[in-house]
Formats: sequence, C-alpha cells, structure tokens
Amino acid sequence: MTGTDILALAACGLVAIGLYGLVAQAEVLRKIIAFNLLGAGVFLLFGVVARRGAAAGLGGDPVPQAMVITGLVVAFAATALALVLTLRLYQIAGAATVAEDPPERTASEP
Amino acid sequence: MSFLLVLAPLAPLAMLFALAWPKVRATVQRLLWAAPLPALLVALLLGHVPPLVADAGGLRLTLLLDAPGALLLGGAALLWGAAGLYARAYLGDQPRFAAWWLLTQSGSLGVFIAGDLGSFYLAFAVASLAGFGLVVQDGTAAAVRAGALYLFLAVLGEIALLLGFALLATAAPGDSIAIADVVPPLATYPGGHITALLLVLGFGLKMGLVPLHVWLPVAHPAAPMPASAVLSGVIVKAGVIGLIRFLPDDGAPAGWGMALTVIGFLTAYWGVAAGLTQRNPKTVLAYSTVSQMGVVGAVLGMGIVLGIADGGLHAAFYALHHMLAKGALFLGVGVALASGRESRRWVLPLALLLALGFGGLPPTGGALAKAAVKDELGAGLAAWCAALSAFGSTLLMLHFVRRVTEAAGEGHAARPAPGLLWPWLGLGGAALLLPWALLPMVGADAGKMWSMAAIAPVLLGAALSWPWMRWADRVPALPEGDLLVLAKRGAAPREALGRAILRFEMLFRPWPAAGLSLLGVVLALIAAMAAARS
Amino acid sequence: MTATTQGGWLLVMALTLPAGAMLLAFVAGGRHARTISLAALGLWLVIAFAIAAQVQSGGAPLSYVIGGWQPPLGMALRADGLSAAMLLTGAVVLLAVALFGRTPYDTPRGAPESRAAYAFWCFVPALAASLAAAFLGGDLFNLFVALEMLTFTALALACLDGRPSQFKSELRYLLFALIGSVLYLLGTGLLYGAYGTLDIALLAGRTRADAPTMVAGALMTAGLIAKMALFPLHLWLPPAHAGAPAAASALLSGLVVKGAFVLLLRLWFWVLPAPFVLGGASVLAALGATAIVVGSVVALRQERLKLLVAYSTVAQMGYLFLMFPLLAAADAETASRAWLGGVLQAISHALAKAAMFLGAGLVAASLGHDRVNALGGAARAMPVTVIAFALGGLSLMGLPPSGGFSAKWLLLRASVETGQWWWSLVILAGGLLTGGYVYRIVAAALSAPAPGCMARPVPRAQEYCVLALAVASMLLGVLPLYAFGLVRVGAP
Repeated sequence: MTGTDILALAACGLVAIGLYGLVAQAEVLRKIIAFNLLGAGVFLLFGVVARRGAAAGLGGDPVPQAMVITGLVVAFAATALALVLTLRLYQIAGAATVAEDPPERTASEP
Repeated sequence: MSFLLVLAPLAPLAMLFALAWPKVRATVQRLLWAAPLPALLVALLLGHVPPLVADAGGLRLTLLLDAPGALLLGGAALLWGAAGLYARAYLGDQPRFAAWWLLTQSGSLGVFIAGDLGSFYLAFAVASLAGFGLVVQDGTAAAVRAGALYLFLAVLGEIALLLGFALLATAAPGDSIAIADVVPPLATYPGGHITALLLVLGFGLKMGLVPLHVWLPVAHPAAPMPASAVLSGVIVKAGVIGLIRFLPDDGAPAGWGMALTVIGFLTAYWGVAAGLTQRNPKTVLAYSTVSQMGVVGAVLGMGIVLGIADGGLHAAFYALHHMLAKGALFLGVGVALASGRESRRWVLPLALLLALGFGGLPPTGGALAKAAVKDELGAGLAAWCAALSAFGSTLLMLHFVRRVTEAAGEGHAARPAPGLLWPWLGLGGAALLLPWALLPMVGADAGKMWSMAAIAPVLLGAALSWPWMRWADRVPALPEGDLLVLAKRGAAPREALGRAILRFEMLFRPWPAAGLSLLGVVLALIAAMAAARS
Repeated sequence: MTATTQGGWLLVMALTLPAGAMLLAFVAGGRHARTISLAALGLWLVIAFAIAAQVQSGGAPLSYVIGGWQPPLGMALRADGLSAAMLLTGAVVLLAVALFGRTPYDTPRGAPESRAAYAFWCFVPALAASLAAAFLGGDLFNLFVALEMLTFTALALACLDGRPSQFKSELRYLLFALIGSVLYLLGTGLLYGAYGTLDIALLAGRTRADAPTMVAGALMTAGLIAKMALFPLHLWLPPAHAGAPAAASALLSGLVVKGAFVLLLRLWFWVLPAPFVLGGASVLAALGATAIVVGSVVALRQERLKLLVAYSTVAQMGYLFLMFPLLAAADAETASRAWLGGVLQAISHALAKAAMFLGAGLVAASLGHDRVNALGGAARAMPVTVIAFALGGLSLMGLPPSGGFSAKWLLLRASVETGQWWWSLVILAGGLLTGGYVYRIVAAALSAPAPGCMARPVPRAQEYCVLALAVASMLLGVLPLYAFGLVRVGAP
C-alpha cells in the first residue's frame, strides 16, 4: 500500500464522516463543521488525483492543486456565510436550528 | 380576398384590445354587435375566398372556408351580432363582460375557418376557456360553481384533444400540420382507435354527448341570457365542426361511425328524458341542446357508416338551424320574463313556432333541417330512432313553452325593451327563414318535410304534451347535470388521495429523510447506469 | 482545439460588465448604486441580445479562450444556442425584476441609504455575473465556482428582509446546496482523475462507460438535482422561495435553479457516455414525473399564495427532466424536438414564474397577507397584476398560445414518437393539476372582497413589470419556430 492509497482511503473516510454529520446531526454548527470535513475529504481526493496523474518527472499535476486552492476559497466563503446566518438566527430567534417547522399553516389539513 | 379570413377572428380581438383604452371603451361596448360583421361577410363570400396559407418558419398555418365552415361561421356571426345587441340592452355597461365576450367570440369564429392543427387548437381553446367568463358573469355562488365545472371539463377536453392532435401529427407523413394532411392516415393508423377516442372525447365534451353533457345544464342557466344563447348556440358547435373536420366520412377508423351514432341517439333521448323533469326554462333549453347535439352526432355517425360524402355539410346545416333557433329561444326567455301578461300574448307565438321547429313542424326551418339529414337518418332503424327523437323534441319543447309561460313576468303591462325585442325577433325570423334561402347549398328535397313520417312525430308529441302538463309537476326534478351526483360521490376518495399525497410529500421534509434520499438518488443512478452498461 | 471566434469578446463583456457594475455599485452606494445597476442590466440585455443574434446568424457557437491559453490548461468561455437563449432569458427577467425593485428598494434623495436597498443593488448585478458564468462556462470546475457564486448571491438576496423565519429557511437552503456542491465537486475530482481534463468540449465523446465515470456522473447529477430541488430533494425550496422578498423569490425560482439545469444538460449530453445517459435518464424522468404529480397536488392544497407558487416550481422543475429519456432514445428529428421542448419549458417557466412571484408579492403587499382563500377584491384593486398572474398561470398550464404550450406540445410529440407514451400522461395530468391551483388563485382574486378587507393600491410601474414578464412568456408561443433555431445551435 503506497502513501497515495492511504491518502485516498483517508479521503474516503473524511467524506463519509462529513456526509454522516451533514445528514444526521441536528445542530447547525455541527453541520457546518461536517461540511468542512466533507470538503477536506474532497480536497484530499484532488491531491491524490494530482499525485497519480503526474506527468513523468513531475512531483504532481499542478491543475488539481489550483482547483483545490479555488475550492478552499469557495468552502471558506460558504462557511463564513453559513456562520453569519447562524449567528444572526441565534441573535434574533434565540436558537439556531434548521429542523422542520411544525406543520402549521404550511399545508391545509382540514 | 383571402386576407378577409384573418379578419373574422381578429376583428373581435382588436375590439378587445381597444377596451383597454379608456377613451374608446364606451364606443366599443356600444358597437359590440358589429364585431362579428367581418365573419358574416366572409361567410357570404363562400367560393370566392381562397385559403390563406401562412408559412411561419416551418410551421404552415392555414385558414380556409368550405361549405360546412361557411354555414356555421355565418350562423355564428348572426347569433353573435344579435346577442351582442341584446346584451347591450340586457346588461348595460359591463367592460369585463364585453372583454370575455369578445375573446370568446374571436375563438369561436376562428374555429370554423381553422385549417391546421395549431390554429384549430388555439381557436378551440380560446373559445372554450374564455366562455368561463361568460358563465360566471352574474357572480352568484351558483354561477361560480358552474364556472368551475365548466372550466374543469373544458380543460379536460383540451387535454384529450392535445394528446389526440399529437397522435395525429405523429402518424401523418412529413411535417405538415394541415388538417387535410393529418386526417387521412387516421383510418389506417394502428393507433387510430385511441386517436379517434380522444377526439370524440374532446369534441363530445364540447357538444355535450352523454355522459359528457353535464356542464351544459349547469352552465347555461347560470349564465346571463345573451351568454347562454351563444354558449348553447355557438360554443357547442365548436365540437360539431371538430367532428366534421377530424372524423370525415372516409377518414374515421372502422367502427367509429356506428359508435358515434349510438352515442348520438343515446344523447338525444337522454336529453329529452332529463329535460322533461326540469322546472327552469333555461335548464329545459340546455337539455334540449344536449338532445339536438345528440342528433347531430348521430347524423355524423350515420354519414360515416353510409359513406355519405356530404355528411358533414348536412350536419352543419342541421347545426345552423339549431344555432339560430336555440339562440332565439334563449333570448326569448329573457323577453318573456321582461313582458307582462298583456304583451306576453305577442311573445309566445314566435317562441312556440321556434320550439315546434325542433320537432320538424313544416314549413319551419327546423323541418328543412330534418329534411336535409334524410340521407343519413332516412331509412331503416335510424329513421325510427330519428322519428322517436323528433317526437321527444316536440314534447320537450312544448314543456319548455309551458315553463316559460309560468315564469313570472313583472307587472301586468310591462313591455320588453326594444333592445331585447328586436334582436330576438330578428334571430327568430332568421331561424325560420334562413334555412329556406340556404336549401340549395345542401340540395335537400323540401317536399320531404310534408311526408307523414316527418309530421307524425310532431303531431304525436303535441298530443301527448297535454297529459304531460298535468304530470310534469308530480315528477321529481332531476338535479341539473344529472350524472354530476355520481361525481360528488367521488369527493371523499379524492380528498383522501390528496391528503395521502400530502403526507407522502411530508415524509421527505425532515432533514435526515432528505439526506437519505440524496444518497438513494446517487445509488439509484449508479444502479441504472450499471444496468445499462452490462 | 478551441479558438476564440469572432464576437468572442461579447462573452467576456457578458461576464465582466455585471461584475464590474457590482463593484462600482458597492463603492458608490446610495442612489448611485441603483443607477449603476440598472444601467448595467440594460447594457447586459443588449449584450445578451447581441450574443444570441451572433449565434443565430452564424449558426455556430461562440467561444473565447481566456488569455490565449488552450484547454486543458487554460479555460474557455463558450456560448452555444442553449447558453445564448438562457442568457437572454436571464437578462430579460433580471431587468424586469430590477425595474420592479426600483420601488421597494428606493433610496429617496437626501435619505440615508438602507441596508436592504444597498444590498439589493449590489447583488442583482452580482447575480447577473454568476448567471453569465454558469451559462457561458466551458469547464466543469469553473461551472462549480459559478454555481457557488449563484447560490451565495441568491442567498443574500433572499435574506434582504432580515426576518428570523427567512434566516432559518435560507440557512437550510445554503446547507443543502452545499451538500449538493460538494457531491458535484467530488464527481469532478473523479472525472479529472480519469481523463485529466474538465473541459466540456474535450471530454465530449471521449468518456468511457467505466466505473469511475459512472460514480462521478451519479454524484454530480445528485448534487445538481439537489440544487434544482427535484423531488425528493425539494425540502429546502418551498420555504426558501416563499420566505424571500418578492423580487428575490422571482429570481430564485425563475433563474437560479436554471443555472444548475444548464449544467446538468452539459453533463448528461456532452460529458457522460451514451449508455449511461440511456440508463440513467429514466431514473431522472421518473423522479421528474413524481415531482410533477406530488408537487402539483401539494400546491393545490396550500393556503399561502407564495408557498403555493413555490410548490408549483417544484412541480414545474419536474417537466425539465422528462426531456432526458426522450432525448436519449430518439432519432435526430425527435431528439431535436425534445431538446427544444425542454429548453423552451425552462425559458417559459423562468418568465412565467418570475411574473407569478412578483405578482404574489404585490398581492401580499396590497392586502397585507397572502392567504389564498382571502384574496377577494384583489382583481378589483390591481387588475393588471391579476391578469399578469393568470397569464403566467396559463403558460404553466400549457395552454396556447403560451410558451408553455409550445414546450409541452413538443415534449408530448417526442414522447409519442419514441413510444414512451406514459410520459405524455404525466404531462397532461400535470397540466390539469396546474389548472386547478391557478384557478383557485384567480377565482379567489376575482371574487368579491371580504367585508373589512382593505386593499392598498400598488404602484402602476411595478404592475407593468409583472405584466411584461407574463406577456413575454405568452409571446414565446407566438414566436415563429425559426426563432428557436437558436436553441438548436450546438445541441447534442
């Protein structure tokens, strides 16, 4: 098992943890952290891809690394935005949750 | 000359747009009667107007005028004009009503000259859907309910037609959507039966063939008089022209002629039987329309069975008479209600004459209409069925005259306003006389109407109408739209189904469920792709 | 090999002009932000029109290679018929919505600028730039960035009012959209690992029907349909679209979901190999059919006008997925019909739904509530709005002569021609159900006002914006067919 394989497995693990957290965790903050874990897993995967697809003589393919940098920026922006929303929600409503509202008014149940 | 064809539907449309302009609004409403004049002119020019073909980027639109179309177009224009005059006196200034009126008119005039699937569907849809505005004009709860039912069935009909047209367009060779190109392959196309079923559904709904007639007896009484007149006179004819165009005598798949005949006669009797129990004269008239459209359906059906080349023309002639006479009768109900006991005496004879025309009393226009369809309904079992329906119609129409007489007029000496009286007289006169003028077109033998076979049902009906007068009040009235009662029974299961779907949807609203379904979608996609690869 | 074509600079302009306008508006603020933003959107419409005209007349896609660097290392902007048509739609809707927003997001002379107005006039051009990036991008990774930009700007617009319920539903939207984007990104990583490029033109026809491509395709598709709120991934859409201010709802429902749609089309009909398309298309269409039925029935049972319109979006998005099996299984002529039908559905829905959301916003502003059963008197107070709403509804129902009718007719014919008649039943049943909920609203609006109901008059200018969108959606069906030759340029 090479180092690349281990990294690839680690990426899979991170993606799995992140997905689980995003789907199953109720608290918003945990969801945001889970999203970051998920993102980290994906970026690690890009790293693996860069390593594997490297042209002869090069340490790695530079294109995926450029993508990872861009992706990091996007993920950072998304995290910041989500945190700001959570904070505002907490300030206004006193609690930050995205659980389904009780089905008042949303539908007509005669 | 062919540009005139466009004017028929566009003139009302232009007036509709003019309504949006406050300065001319009053003028437009005053000139409501003039909107169908171009259509009347076009109809009179039959034979001199070549088809209009517009090539709109690969889509060929056709407007054409043939004999059945011209008969119906001219009759419709007359009725729209007379009813427009009448509406002015009946309703006064009603910009919203005028808007719906003009829109409906535009569609209903267009449908008689449309020569391709696209423009036919467009005109048909405009006429059907805009009719909703005419039904709900009074704004009462009953009118709104009737409007909802009308709209629901109209959309249902549109849907059946849309699918039918899609099948037609698919079966036709090439890209043309002209009716002349898409209809002939229907007879031999393997999916022809489904197509024919969809077409009969769509057009039958409009015509009111049983069991799709339920909207007529509900919508007609709810609408104001002039609107009932055009609904019953013109809008149902959109279905007639549809059957003429899309199920021609040589183009229908096997068996559909007989099916149409059976449905037609069934409708004719059903309308009579249900109508005889009604109290409201407008409902009686609506059922009479159902019954008469049944006869038209039977004429078209027998035309297909016997392979009569002019079957469509004969049916159109019959429908023309119905258009004028039924329009006049609806207007007449309003006239009768507006006149006191004193002037009622002068109103009733014409109503009686028109009413008996539906049974075939010579020498009214109605008798000529019956003579014109002798080719189809003149022999064998069909002749007996037709005689029975003529007898029923006589009975029904005399029942109508009685119900009108009973309906209360205001005061003793009240006189109908001239704005109500003259359109009615004009239209009634047209119904009695116009068929005589147009007789050469259909080449029927006017002498046939004096035959015993033609007169006997009228006499029998008239004779039996005296005893029925006594019985009629003891028979419980069928609810308007008879079969609708069954639909109400479906309300609870429908409600339950709706709630079940809502609960099903709510399963996916919680966050974990959505996350799991996301994974489910990924897995389903992988499975489907893997299955396709192997 | 991609080369910059004649007129390629237009693509750069389409991207940079709104982005520049956003920056300028951000700096200038106040009344200037509004002027800059409106001027930029007007110009943007001209550019979109020029691109469409160029593509139509040339009959070939435009492209621009940024910096002269060839893909796979560099990246290209491309505009085929699909991009040009969607860009034009986006420009029309955005301009109409911006004009609509002149009243609520007005900064009177001398008054201090409000947060909402400032944000609105900055984010509307930002949305334009993101849309341009999403429609014109030629590289799967760039498109990912464009989608994120689209989500972020849409989110900011949706939160303009700053109500707690808004924050909650928009946070749900953001989190779910983020799951979608990560799945998409995961897929692009796998694709890059397999082929060494993410340029769509380079990938086209070169992908193999192997396991990595399959997994990548499934992940990316799932991510995109999560952003499009296809049933059963729609949980976020109704509250997010219904909770946003009217102008933002119109943009979210009309345009933002269409960004992901264009990307999905690119993925399926340019990138994925034919066997996968054939196999997976029926899954998408089945979900779409469920969305049509369930979304419409649920819409029919809503009591709030905006929620109803939002559920109608869930249902209408379903129609977009019916084109997939029709395109996959058909001969050239039928496929072209299905393609045109699907794209036309996206365009007419964008116009009609934007009109309906703006109209619903006006109704809510005038009556002070948006309960469907208490809309009585609305038609009397604002006839233009109600007419516009009804026209939009007719287009959604697919009645002639609307754009929705043309779309549904084309899809119907394609489904009959490919022998997949069951989709035609779904199309027609959806039309009937749509008619049901449109009727509910229009009939309620036409009925007499309840006693004590006070309808405040609404600005005429806003009403005309709504009407313009609705009429545009109707006119789409009257346009001669050759105008749609545009959509066929560069179609798969």
